[in-house]
Amino acid sequence: MEIIYTDVLVIGGGLAGQRAAIGAKRRGHETIVLSLVPAKRSHSAAAQGGMQASLGNCLGASGDNEDIHFADTVRGSDWGADQHVVRMFTHTAPKAIRELAAWGVPWNRVQRGEHEITVDGQKRTIAESDAAHGLITSRNFGGTGKWRACYVSDGTGHAMLYTMSNQAIAAGIPVHERMEALALIHDGGRCCGAIVRNLQSGKLLAYVARATCIATGGYGRIYRVSTNAVINEGMGAAIALETGIASLGNMEAIQFHPTAIVPAGILVTEGCRGDGGLLLDAAGHRFMPDYEPQKMELASRDVVSRRMEEHIAAGHGVQGRFGEHLWLDIRLLGKAHIERNLREVKEICHYFLGIDPVRDLIPVRPAQHYSMGGIRTDHRGQSPQLRGLFAAGESACWDIHGFNRLGGNSVAETVVAGMIVGDSIADFCDSPEGELQVSTALVEEFGQRERQRLAGIGSGNGGESAFELTRLMQDTMTGNVGIFRHGDRLREAVDTLQELQCRAANITLRSSAPGANPELVAAYRLQRMLKLAQCTAYGALQRTESRGAHYRADYPRRNDGEWLRRTLATWPAPEATLPSLDYEALDIMTMELPPGWRGYGDKDHIAHPDTERRKHQISAALAPLGDSADRYTRQQALMPFEHLLPPHLRRRNQRLGDES
Amino acid sequence: MPKTLSALSARMDLLQSLSGLLLVLFIWAHMFFESSILLGEDAMYAVSRMFEGEPLFGKPYPLLVSAAGIAVFLLVAVHAVLALRKFPGSSRQYQLLNRHLGVIRHEDTTLWYVQVITGFCLFFLIPAHLYTVITQPENIGPYASADRVWSERFWIVYALLLLTVHVHAAIGVYRLVMKWYAPTGVQAGRTRARLKRGMWCILAFFILLGTASLLTYMRIGYQHADSAGERYRPASAPVGAR
Amino acid sequence: MNRIPVQEVRRSLQIRILRHNPHDPASKPCLQTFELEEAESMTLFIALNEIRQTMDPSLQFDFVCRAGICGSCGMIINGRPGLACRTLTRNLPECITLAPLPGFELIGDLSVNTGKWMRGMSERLETWVHQRDLDRADIDQLEERMEPDLAERIYELERCIECGCCIAACGTARMREDFVGAVGLNQIMRFRLDPRDERSDADFYALVGDESGVFGCMTLLGCEDYCPKDLPLAAQIAFLRRRMVATGA
Repeated sequence: MEIIYTDVLVIGGGLAGQRAAIGAKRRGHETIVLSLVPAKRSHSAAAQGGMQASLGNCLGASGDNEDIHFADTVRGSDWGADQHVVRMFTHTAPKAIRELAAWGVPWNRVQRGEHEITVDGQKRTIAESDAAHGLITSRNFGGTGKWRACYVSDGTGHAMLYTMSNQAIAAGIPVHERMEALALIHDGGRCCGAIVRNLQSGKLLAYVARATCIATGGYGRIYRVSTNAVINEGMGAAIALETGIASLGNMEAIQFHPTAIVPAGILVTEGCRGDGGLLLDAAGHRFMPDYEPQKMELASRDVVSRRMEEHIAAGHGVQGRFGEHLWLDIRLLGKAHIERNLREVKEICHYFLGIDPVRDLIPVRPAQHYSMGGIRTDHRGQSPQLRGLFAAGESACWDIHGFNRLGGNSVAETVVAGMIVGDSIADFCDSPEGELQVSTALVEEFGQRERQRLAGIGSGNGGESAFELTRLMQDTMTGNVGIFRHGDRLREAVDTLQELQCRAANITLRSSAPGANPELVAAYRLQRMLKLAQCTAYGALQRTESRGAHYRADYPRRNDGEWLRRTLATWPAPEATLPSLDYEALDIMTMELPPGWRGYGDKDHIAHPDTERRKHQISAALAPLGDSADRYTRQQALMPFEHLLPPHLRRRNQRLGDES
Repeated sequence: MPKTLSALSARMDLLQSLSGLLLVLFIWAHMFFESSILLGEDAMYAVSRMFEGEPLFGKPYPLLVSAAGIAVFLLVAVHAVLALRKFPGSSRQYQLLNRHLGVIRHEDTTLWYVQVITGFCLFFLIPAHLYTVITQPENIGPYASADRVWSERFWIVYALLLLTVHVHAAIGVYRLVMKWYAPTGVQAGRTRARLKRGMWCILAFFILLGTASLLTYMRIGYQHADSAGERYRPASAPVGAR
Repeated sequence: MNRIPVQEVRRSLQIRILRHNPHDPASKPCLQTFELEEAESMTLFIALNEIRQTMDPSLQFDFVCRAGICGSCGMIINGRPGLACRTLTRNLPECITLAPLPGFELIGDLSVNTGKWMRGMSERLETWVHQRDLDRADIDQLEERMEPDLAERIYELERCIECGCCIAACGTARMREDFVGAVGLNQIMRFRLDPRDERSDADFYALVGDESGVFGCMTLLGCEDYCPKDLPLAAQIAFLRRRMVATGA
């Protein structure tokens, strides 16, 4: 077997992977990126509306800072997030955006003078200051206290990904395209690279690396209706799971985006609502204020999606040819605004629905959108169980999103995590730990195992079809592990998935075409996806509470007393059909923001006894500082985090009006 | 790293377009002068004398016409050589291009291919025409030209030339605009459609004008066939004579 | 309210696909016809997947975002380059012929290696912001200001998704394999417009001032007419040509 040696192997060529690769390469480590597709085609490109970073430049953002971004994110996560990591994230996000601005992303800028905006269905005029003219502007997004989503029209992800890819090319980082990692090579405690399949020739080869970073995105394709790209099958998370050592965190935390077009399931950005768009029902009634008087259409995604499904269930959905849906109305924003700031939305409506959103309503219904869960890492991005394995972006559970991610925080996470994890990979490689002694025998053993697995699929004659089983899995997940979950349905899903897993061992291939053989690809991916689906369904079944996007109709309350814990799933043995679940408690006593009401959604929850104690502790810590203490000092007194960041990312962020 | 590229490419590209533009302007002007025959033999006689310099020097110098013919020939040669760079240079390229034309349905690519074909034809037709102009500059006039057209059977050459040169020129002008000043902005598509419509109108106009003139020369030539070789004597004093 | 046109009678589609697997020595390029019943709102993405799942599992094609954003699924659809994922079958006749994009290395059937070509183009034209000490940029301070209008004009050109349709539609690219194509020339214009890029016109001339660059373009306008993102390619190339003539000649 051909073996390629490198210092750093990054699996995944999206924003997170490429930024981590650039970070490692800059520190002098040879880095190779593997990608299923050409890097610029990664799913990062599909991020439309914006990237959250508290620059505070435009009027709607004035007064914004890391503290507000932090609080929004923690509330959004329904207190499931790791608050230290959220602090690291919100502190670094402005730096990430400024770095990208220097590298060439054409962020939309503040235009001085009067503008007409749409708020709460009404036109209003605001005036931007001269001082802010030409700085990066931002738009309103759900669940945020300020206008914080920096954007490039509605092609934000595209512009970011192209700039990032071009910088990676400039840095001379090779991207091995159409390569799929099938297994991580490890000796039980140390990850040493991956066995990789060439998706053009079908050949297997091995990459041996001192550090391996998984940045393969989410696993949305375990669902039938998903906004995700077809490559988002979670193979990175799956191969980590298959080590039996690395754990996956919070796999049951799946986000459903409120506005996917019906029936294609293609996303139209949250920016539609951020810019003033409304949700209407069959009667043309704007229903969100009835449910969420505070944030209305701009509550967090989990809440809006749930309210939409609730409203449909109450009989207010539009009967369409593809089932029930609701309307997204952006007509009130006007032609000029749509053609400038929502042109991708217009294009999607034109090509897939044959309508013009300037004149017509857009049929929407919530669809699977994001995986908050993923490979559990520490704050440096390394797996706590498998040394040398790192993860960044959606494939990781670094845990800034907890049980619900805020819109615009995903692309922000990719780049920020890429910056931080890239650095920690370099630190790891520079340290004695980074030394790697790996025997060819070990590499051959893993290669042989994968070769046998592929041969096993090819020679099976049980008559099962990979495509058919994939469809059944997706239907099960969309039907039983969706927005509203219930113990019975989840139990049913777990059983079905177990059955599917047995059937997947009996797949027969109809084609033995040389080369990649798409049918073989579907077959081996299915076996891995079933494990991820099972972690999701089983985790959801066990979690007898409602938190963020995980809503149990039979346990509708958030239960901090029992469930302020992160689910950790490992796969005990290759032949197992259920994961082993373990739980990691979130310590309220170290939290800067103890659990409470999110400001939207249900107010009712079961509190943890530590919550009150921590609140007192916080008051006591802040009291001696008095009112004169600045926000940095106050924050420092509650939860110091700067020491967790790489030194060059620790400095404060300058904002308009600050002394430089 | 920057490799240094010579200025030659830029100059050749510009020169190809400029020579083409000049040739188009020439041929359009040529059409108006030639079609003076539609206004009568006298008008055409006056035009031909004018180009022999009679208004300027008091008597005609046909050599001036030869000189102009040579200049045009040189311009054509320059244009042809520069354009040849863009023609398929090998049988492989020719095959690739042909396959491309077979696979892709695209109007402007077809227009360009029409230019390649007409350009190839003009490669033979223009020298044939210019040869007579340069060697027999004095034989341009209402009767001399008409005799050549009819009695010497040159109308076949001229008919072909008329068609090819105007197709080549009209498409050329449209493509020249697109090449150097393609419309931009929200109206770009509409402007281009107008340009193209303009191109067809110009083409139709010159084909009509040219056909009418050619038919007139043929008629005169037919009527004058018995006394072919005889030169035209204007009824009145030549226009512009001192 | 529902303005989506309803199609009453289901058509039977004949989809002819130019098939070839270069990894199989026995494979010869040939057209294979698949028949399938048209469904509501069927795109070529749906149709091709259905063919693969129910008729021929070896059929190769590329889709990623299936939303017209990533540029993976460029192919020749009835003689016109376009994105298959957002092509609705109801806008096509019953007989649909699909072929891989020409001008790129064939991976198999409808799958071509646009990624390799585009990476080569990026490396050759250095499609990134050239600025001294870029890796030491101060990211703690306020960002450099930019005119809002300029940012939007850069984005207008940045919208290219490198799908390869312009290369497939280009007669010049067919004859000259080293031609950078509209995608490359557009990149030059994008970085030329960007004040963060310190390169001069002379630097750009060194990159595209010859027959493999802007002077190779024969203005066939296939790029302009088949760009799925409606980029103003003809106007950009015309402008670049004028600038490069002014610089070089």
